[in-house]
Amino acid sequence: MTRTKLFKYGDWGIYILFIVIVLGLPLVMTDVFWLNRIAKYLVYGMLGIAIALSWGYAGILNLGQGLFFGLGAYMVAMSLKLQSYTSLQQGSDTPVPDFMLWNAEPGAPTELCCITSGSWLWLPFQAQWFGMVMAIVLPVILALVLSSAIFRLRVSGVYVAIITLALVLLVRLLIIDAQPITNGFNGLTDLGWLTIGGFEFDPYLVSTYYIVAVSICVVLLATRWLVSTRAGLILQSTRDDPNRSRYLGYDVAAYQVFFFTVSAGIAGFAGMLYVIAAEFASPSFLDITFSISMVVWAAVGGRSSLIGAAIGAILINTIEATASETEMFREAWKLIIGVIFVAVVLYMPRGLAGLARDAVGLFAQTRDSGKTRTARSGAPAE
Amino acid sequence: MAAALTIDGLEVDFGGFKAVDGMTTVIDEGELRVVLGPNGAGKTTLMDLVSGKTPSTAGEVRLFGKEITNWPEHQIARAGVGRKFQIPSVFRDLTVRDNLNVAVSHEPRVFRNLRLGMAAADRSRIDEVIALTGLEPVLDTIAGDLSHGQMQWLELGMLITQQARVILLDEPTAGMTQAETAKTADIILRLKGAHTILVVEHDMAFVRKIAERVTVMHMGKLLAEGPMARIEQDPAVREAYLGSGGVH
Amino acid sequence: MSEILFIGLSLSSILLLIALGLSITYGAMGVINMAHGELVMIGAYTAVLSGIYLNLNLFFALPLAFVVSALVGLGLEKLVIRRLYGRIIDTLLATWGVAIILQQLIRLEFGLSFFGIHIEGLGPGLQNMDVPAFLTQPFEIAGIPIQPYRSFIIVVTLLLTLLTWFLMYRTSIGTQVRAIMRNPQIAAACGIDVRRVSAFTFAYGSGLAGIAGVLLAGFKTVMPDMGASTVVDGFLVVVVGGVGSLLGTVLASALLGQINGVFAILTNDILARAVVFGVVIAIILWRPRGLFAFKSR
Repeated sequence: MTRTKLFKYGDWGIYILFIVIVLGLPLVMTDVFWLNRIAKYLVYGMLGIAIALSWGYAGILNLGQGLFFGLGAYMVAMSLKLQSYTSLQQGSDTPVPDFMLWNAEPGAPTELCCITSGSWLWLPFQAQWFGMVMAIVLPVILALVLSSAIFRLRVSGVYVAIITLALVLLVRLLIIDAQPITNGFNGLTDLGWLTIGGFEFDPYLVSTYYIVAVSICVVLLATRWLVSTRAGLILQSTRDDPNRSRYLGYDVAAYQVFFFTVSAGIAGFAGMLYVIAAEFASPSFLDITFSISMVVWAAVGGRSSLIGAAIGAILINTIEATASETEMFREAWKLIIGVIFVAVVLYMPRGLAGLARDAVGLFAQTRDSGKTRTARSGAPAE
Repeated sequence: MAAALTIDGLEVDFGGFKAVDGMTTVIDEGELRVVLGPNGAGKTTLMDLVSGKTPSTAGEVRLFGKEITNWPEHQIARAGVGRKFQIPSVFRDLTVRDNLNVAVSHEPRVFRNLRLGMAAADRSRIDEVIALTGLEPVLDTIAGDLSHGQMQWLELGMLITQQARVILLDEPTAGMTQAETAKTADIILRLKGAHTILVVEHDMAFVRKIAERVTVMHMGKLLAEGPMARIEQDPAVREAYLGSGGVH
Repeated sequence: MSEILFIGLSLSSILLLIALGLSITYGAMGVINMAHGELVMIGAYTAVLSGIYLNLNLFFALPLAFVVSALVGLGLEKLVIRRLYGRIIDTLLATWGVAIILQQLIRLEFGLSFFGIHIEGLGPGLQNMDVPAFLTQPFEIAGIPIQPYRSFIIVVTLLLTLLTWFLMYRTSIGTQVRAIMRNPQIAAACGIDVRRVSAFTFAYGSGLAGIAGVLLAGFKTVMPDMGASTVVDGFLVVVVGGVGSLLGTVLASALLGQINGVFAILTNDILARAVVFGVVIAIILWRPRGLFAFKSR
């Protein structure tokens, strides 16, 4: 087997192993509490994939990915909020979120259309499908508009990072400020369950785990396909030398916009799944800390490896959850993650994925040299 | 013969300084034209204007009769202009093979490229280019690890793969050894006829080897144009470019 | 009206105070130091600790904090930044890790809290710095009420800006720094000890962060993550002003501070900040190099 083939098989081996473990986990892990936690970390894994796609393959560092995650989360949370027990018990023909009652002007009608200023925006969310569709459509539209502006104007490198950072902060503030329709700092809590065909997806059910598990596998394979297409190759060329791509006839901005938008769509989808598993949406999804954490996970796992970034995200969060059993350990773990991260940037810029590749390469090398040694010893003695 | 590239009164004004100032020349289809001129004559700027890197302030560029003045770079490229830069410009993190794959750009749109693999015709064209440029041994090498000469040939190969009808070459032999220069001359001569080529070059030995018609620029303007032998004797050219010492 | 301007001016001076150090480390060295906020925080803790243990007041804490933060910055440069010059995004990521480490070291009292040892003034709790009484009594000049502490901050910021300008444009080391800004290779070829000058520059920028921390401690609660939120504002100011332009940084902080002040009165604090972010995004889209950038690096 040649070195390249070994890499290829090794690569597919890891994908298959990952999918088997993710789908098979409920067979060995019966603790529903942990299963629900892992589901959330799989969602983080999807965020890792989204970051690797834009950062590793397109060279676009988006420090505001939390914006798309947060919007996706809020869209679906609005729908689920209207299905919750607390919203239905307000003595009104339409469901009304409890916090709107607390925020309403005295004497305002207790109807969703007009209880607080802007509450009519909630009306279409009475249909669950609307929230779920918007969880992907809204991030995609916003990403399309934003990235068209950024890349048509040929803003690049660190300036993209700064714009996305500023935008996520901007939207976070708008959400906090729109208290009467977003519940401000507190976010949307006490949500109902996702209901499909009369079946209620209690977050602690194995079926809910499978919604997330199957989603991450599909996203992983789909993005893997995407980067293997010619479009994926051309995208990588724009990362290396955008001018060369232009003089070959490619509209560089179009490729950047497409992949930035796909990445945002994945983040929105992840936000939706997170709400289904975690039962809340909060402005903290749009904190800078969270957006940068995603980049950290991807960097540790391997910024230019989709599955590496996913594994990095899942691993770091699982370890963190294990370490957080006591207050003391949680603080110590933060310190350790800081050290790990500095070390990864300094000494292991390709992350775990790079480490794995080097190990396979080393294995191939020793095996090849072993082969030549046998060949030599098999040669007739002179 | 039909005109491939027509440069008509082209001008660019950098805040009062006209790097190219009313330049006019016509390059026929299949022709190999060398542009000479002292440093600062505006040769590279002329290429920037033709390829869309720098917007011109007056004049026209026509490609096979179609006006392409100040189009966005990628549209000029799609119209059939390929460009090689002075400093080799290849995709440094991709393998040589992938560099050539990217150069197959007759279908440049995003959604048309959402597919694996490529057409047999494109694959065989890449094979031809590999044979022509002698890149076979390094196909799986990351382009950033190539030697200077190999990188130049790869970039040249990408322009051929791109099927650029008009190729602009900016000092293709800069920094090359003699052997590499000779090989580059061979590649360029073999492209003649099938492609229209515009070369900016300083190396006179190389120019003599490939040149037929020569255009001499001076201070952003056309100074002289004609066969190499005549240009070398032109007193105005000797005065402006070659100095009193003549051609070296 | 003058009152609004004063509020804006006071917000501007705090922005400038934080951005000044960043303007040097980012502008001159191409390092996005996400731990800048933690250097601010260390300055604030220096003020708190020197008050508790050395009984020093604000005025003595200022130079002390400069030295402490500069030393931490020097260590940071030697251990981490030095290996990352030219990899701007990586400096952002690595210093993000450093920021977490520094925060946790304060929160965990350098790890001593694991052994049940508590150092007064450190730990996860909130701390306060005492401000001398004469800086807390408001007074009036020509009928305009003046808050002395805010004015003090404005004056100190002004002095530091002048000092920085003097260092950068009127001393030989400043010339060397500016040479490195434009082209590190050529600077090295001209015999400038790029490593030493870079280390010095980084330490100076870090020291400015320390001073900012002391001044911040006078009106803000001191806690381990107090710096984290300031660093982003600082960056936006530097980028809007134009990387490498001291004047740009000054004007950008004035602009953004005033916008913040005016909109805070027209609407509320939250929306005012949102407006600032909106303006920043528009400016970067319009002029990515900033309002007052010099050409090419």
